[in-house]
Order: sequence, then structure tokens, then C-alpha cells
Amino acid sequence: MTTPLVELRGVYRTFVKDRQTIPVLQDVNLSVQPNEILCLVGESGCGKTTTGKIIVGLLEASAGEVLIQGKPRSAYRRAEQAQLRRDYQIVHQDPFASLNPAHTIEQILSFPLLRHKLVKSRAELRRRIWELLTMVDLTPPGDIVNKYPHQLSGGQRQRVSIARTLTVQPRLIVADEAVSMVDVSIRIGILKMLHRLRDEFGMAIVFITHDLALAKYFAWRGRIGVMYLGRVVELGPTPHVIGQPAHPYTRALLQAVPEADPDVTRRKQPMRLRSDDIPRLTAIPPGCAFHPRCPFYVGRVCDVHVPHLDVAEGFAQQVACIPVQQGQLRPYIDEQAGG
Amino acid sequence: MFGLTTIASPQGFFIGALCGLVPLGAGLYYRQWRAGVGGFLACLLSGFACGFLGGLPTILMSYAVVLSYAYVNRQDPFTSRAALEEVNFEETRVEQLQRQLANLGRGIRTSWRALTRNRAGFLGFLGIMFFVVVTVFGPLFIEYEGAARLDRRQPGARSLIAPPSYEHPLGLDWKGRDVLSHMVHGGQRLILTSIQAGLIATVIAVVLGSLAALLGGVVDSLISNAANFILTIPSFPLLLVLASLVNLDSDFLLALLFGVLNWPTLMRAVRAQVFSLRERDYVEAAVALDLGVWHIISREVFPNMISYIAVNLIFTIRVAMYSIVGLVFLGLVPLSEPDWGVMIFTGRQQGVLFQPQAAGMLLAPIVAIALFQLSLVLFTRSLEEVFNPRLRSGL
Repeated sequence: MTTPLVELRGVYRTFVKDRQTIPVLQDVNLSVQPNEILCLVGESGCGKTTTGKIIVGLLEASAGEVLIQGKPRSAYRRAEQAQLRRDYQIVHQDPFASLNPAHTIEQILSFPLLRHKLVKSRAELRRRIWELLTMVDLTPPGDIVNKYPHQLSGGQRQRVSIARTLTVQPRLIVADEAVSMVDVSIRIGILKMLHRLRDEFGMAIVFITHDLALAKYFAWRGRIGVMYLGRVVELGPTPHVIGQPAHPYTRALLQAVPEADPDVTRRKQPMRLRSDDIPRLTAIPPGCAFHPRCPFYVGRVCDVHVPHLDVAEGFAQQVACIPVQQGQLRPYIDEQAGG
Repeated sequence: MFGLTTIASPQGFFIGALCGLVPLGAGLYYRQWRAGVGGFLACLLSGFACGFLGGLPTILMSYAVVLSYAYVNRQDPFTSRAALEEVNFEETRVEQLQRQLANLGRGIRTSWRALTRNRAGFLGFLGIMFFVVVTVFGPLFIEYEGAARLDRRQPGARSLIAPPSYEHPLGLDWKGRDVLSHMVHGGQRLILTSIQAGLIATVIAVVLGSLAALLGGVVDSLISNAANFILTIPSFPLLLVLASLVNLDSDFLLALLFGVLNWPTLMRAVRAQVFSLRERDYVEAAVALDLGVWHIISREVFPNMISYIAVNLIFTIRVAMYSIVGLVFLGLVPLSEPDWGVMIFTGRQQGVLFQPQAAGMLLAPIVAIALFQLSLVLFTRSLEEVFNPRLRSGL
């Protein structure tokens, strides 16, 4: 097994807001292999973005270990750290906020190229910018270079943002809800482009989304990690997680996904949760955080013991649910998924 | 700027004409008549006013504008629709320089259009230009009258003061001197000192505000507390006290004194701006791309504050002007003629308030100062558009 690009071991992260400590991440264990697609799914506030930023190195973990290619960041020398920083890039959710309104597209792309001396001459700089814009399907580049971000559409801006990460030839890109603010009709185009870029440059992609349908499409050949209130509750190869979900939360999510075909959606039986309220991060329930809502709740087990990610019998993926791990919950096959 | 005053000279006219030959020649070469002639006139005026000091930057700017017109029709490899293999990105140094100048020219043109688009703002700009032209070119045509003109005493009159007449449109002052000549000669020093004072205050505010927001911690609380401390002191009375203690024999010293006392308000605003700007996604992206702290300050944060800073600079200049005039009016800075403030001071001292025929002597500087202030305030409207790429768009 190759050394993972990033490995999170028992990572905790807390934020302090109004003198209140908010545990955003608790005991997160993840690793990303080179050229892998890992999809983090979960509702807003579950810690997906924080995980992404810790992977990129924009945030520090409050506790736990973050190993970059096998070693903690501090074990590298200064020059190596600078290179490592460049190897891990992020594409932000909001394409309207991620590009500086004061610069033209040419300037935005030239800053990293010039700063890190990735081009030798003016001519090479312009050639490289042309290539980058072509790579992200912004053609002809001549129409784009002299424009300001506000003169482009959301989709075009997101492509520029991706092109900007490509300037430094990263080994891992965290796409943080990269298409959620883009018009639905052009989402697939951007996702296909990301797939193509991954195949071309051999980088890993951590795709963060709240949309399980997107995750299923994007990470079919990769893995999915389902997050709930700061913990990873299920982690495994996408076809298994989608086709044979283990954790009750994943099952609930899957059954809530609307299908494009209205007949299929109507036939779906949404799982009855015991409660629709999502607990606040300041008052996370004891034991399994999902137990107040879980239909398979087992008294004195789920509300007392914190489940840890582990392989359960009958499943190919890891799951953090004690009843499932003890074999009390049979695999559930969703006939709509798996296709 | 430091103690620098400019008065147009006949030699300047030739210097300006000489400078203007460059854009004119370029205009002829590229067949851009209007831009060439416009550049010639701009060079002529600025060279006339400031000699080579004003002529050289104007040459550059007008040449850039001419080039930007010429480049519209010229094929830039980048904006062509050809395939990558067909595009030749190589260019000679001259071509590269010309392309960059053309980009500069395009920037100047869009700024100019943004400036003229807002009517109120453009009116303010014209007002400021009016005062600049009068104080710079006026002295060429109107001689300064420093000494008393006892020969102008009308037979039987009790004083030398005279109401406006054909020869003296603004009348005569208490020494029988032409008020208009004092108006023309007395504005430049006040305006320049105010600009200096505004610049000093703004620079201090921007530097300290950015430092406080970016470094945080001890630095932040130190600067913020210093600002709060200065804010609690009423600044004009303090200025009065200091002005009477310190011998303010140079204008720069006066400007410095104002600057040191008037940075806190703007500093707080800048600090808040930097706080909000540094949380933006594009700053985070710059951090991830390892572009460096200096890049983040100068290229990511600063450009988004510049319109705000420019508007505040104008307002600070406005306040500085009132403060300086106030000090002069109270006689707390060494009085040297010609000066608009001194005119008001001596006017009051000579009891002009009670002589209707002397109204010109008192009203002229007051109206001039008020109009200049109004022009500044109106001008800020346009300034926002000039620096905001979002507002500039659609042009």
C-alpha cells in the first residue's frame, strides 16, 4: 500500500465562539491515497468543510495527528513545507467570493506562476495561461483573459478557480461544494472536467458535497465518507455505501434523495426518523450522536457508548454503529441504487 | 509636495509643447488624430504648469492612451481565436512594452469614463480643476500686490478699502491692494498644506490599521488603545494648544501636527475593513497557493480598500483645510501673505465686518474655501466609481 497523501488520525477540532467551545470535529480518521477520489457527504454544519481545510493545511487540528505523506507537517523542513502547501489546493464553494474582484483573469492566474517561478519568460507565462484556460474548457481563452471575475458566469468563475489551483500542479485538490452554487445544467460539465483533469494529472480529489446523488455520480470509482455532527459514520467504496448502506443515517439520506423520475420518487418509502431536529453542535447527544433520531435505536447501548468506525460483518465498508457492528441490523439493499 | 508650490512660467509653455510632440507624433503615426491632439494639449497644460515634472508623466500617460486606441485594431495573439499551435506568444521587448502601455492606456480611459459618468462627481472634479488652474495659471496674468497702495486713496475717503469696480473685480483691501490678486496667489499654499495633512493622516491610518488587523494580539490592542486615547481628546482645541506652544514656521510641520492627531477614525475603519477582507475566500486561496504575506496585503487586500481609502483621503483633506484655516483665523500660526486664511484673519482684525463696501475682502476667501470644499465632497462620488472595477464594468 502506498503512503497516503494525507492521513487524519483521531483528529479533533474545536472553535471558540462567544466563549463557548464548539466541537466541530471529533475523532476523525481518514486517509487519502494518491489519485483517489474521496467524497465527504453530510448535511451543513457536520464538519465537511473543516475536514477539507485541515486536509489542505489551512486549519490546524486541535488534537490528533495529521500526517502528510507519512510525516507530520512540522517534521518537514521549511522549503519542503512550502512545497507541501502548494501540493494541496482547495476550490471554494462560492465562485463569487473565491476570485478577487480587483484583478483580471490573466492576473489571477499569473500570480502563482510568477511567484513560484513556474514560467521563465513573459511569453511562456502567456502560453501557460492559455493552456490552463483551455484545460478547464474556457475557450477561446482570448475572450476570458482580460475580463474581471464579475463579468463571468458562476460556472466560468468556478473553472477559473480550478485553473488557478492547477497553476501549481497540486497532488490533491479539495473541491468544497465546488458545484453547489453553479447552475444545475452545467454541473455535470464541471464534474466531468474534474474527472478528466484527475486522469490527466494523477491528482487526488476530495469532493465535499451535501448532495448524495452528486457524490454517487462523482465518486463511483472512489470512496464515500458520510459525516454526521463532526464524526465520520460510514466510510467505504462508493458502490457499497450506496448499494448496501450500513449506518441508519446513510440509509435515511439515501431514501431521501429524490430521483429524476417522479414515479420512482413516489414509490420510495422515506425512512421514519424518530425526530427531524438536528442537534446543535453545542449540545451533541451522548453516545451515538444520531441516537435521538435513529429508528433502530437500542436503549442503554446507543445513548451510552460512542461507536467507532470499524468493519461490520456482512459489509465491505467501515461503519460507526454498534447495532450494525453486532450484527443486529441486517444489510439493507436499496433496489433503486446500485445502478 | 513638501513645500513645493508651482507657478506657471512662460518657459513651461515651451516645455509642455515639447512634451506634447510625443503623443502628437504617435497620434499621427497610428492615425489616431483625436487621441494625439488630446495628448498634445494635456502635455502642454501640465508642462506649462509644472515644467518637466508635470510634463514627463503626462507624456507617458497620453502616449499610453494613444497606444490603447491603436491596439484596438491590432491583433494581440492572446485575444485571437486561433488554436494554440498557431499562436505566437513570443514578442520583442518593444512590443511587450507597447502592449503594457496600451493596457495602462485602457485603464486610464475607463477611469476617465467612470469619472465623467457621474454628473455630480464630474462637477466636483471640474470645481477642483478650476481652483488648480486659477492658482497655478492665474499668477501668470495677475501680478501680486504685496505692499500698501496709498496712492489709491480716494480724495475724501477715510480708508483705502473700496468696493468692487471694473479694474478691481473684488475690490480693494485695507491696504488698498487688489483682493483678486490675493485670491489668485493665496490659494495654493492652503490647498497644498491641506493635501499634505490629509496624506499624512491617511498614510498613518492605513499602515497602523492594516498592522493592527493583520498582526492582531498585542499590536492590535496597543494601536487600538492609542487610537481610543487620541479620539477622547478634542483634536481642534489640542491643535490650538500645540500650535501656540510649537513654533509652526513650516507648512509641513503644521500638516504633520494635523496628521498625527487625525488618524484614529480612519484607522478604525481600515482595521475593520482588513478584518473583513482577510476572511475572504480569495485570501484563503492565496494562502493555499503560498503567495506570501506581502502579496496578500498589497495585491489581494489593498486593491479592495483603495476606493474607500481615496474617499476618506478626500474627506480628511477637507477637514484639514478647515482646521488650518481655523488656526490661521485665530492667529496661532505665523501669518504670511498671500493666504486665504490670512485674508479672513486680517479682514476681521481690521473691522471689515462692519463695512459693507469691504465685503469682497472677507467674502471672497470664504466663498472660495466653501466652493473648494463642496467640489471635494462632490468629487468623492466619482472617485468611488473610478476605483471600483464592478462599477467600471459595462463600459
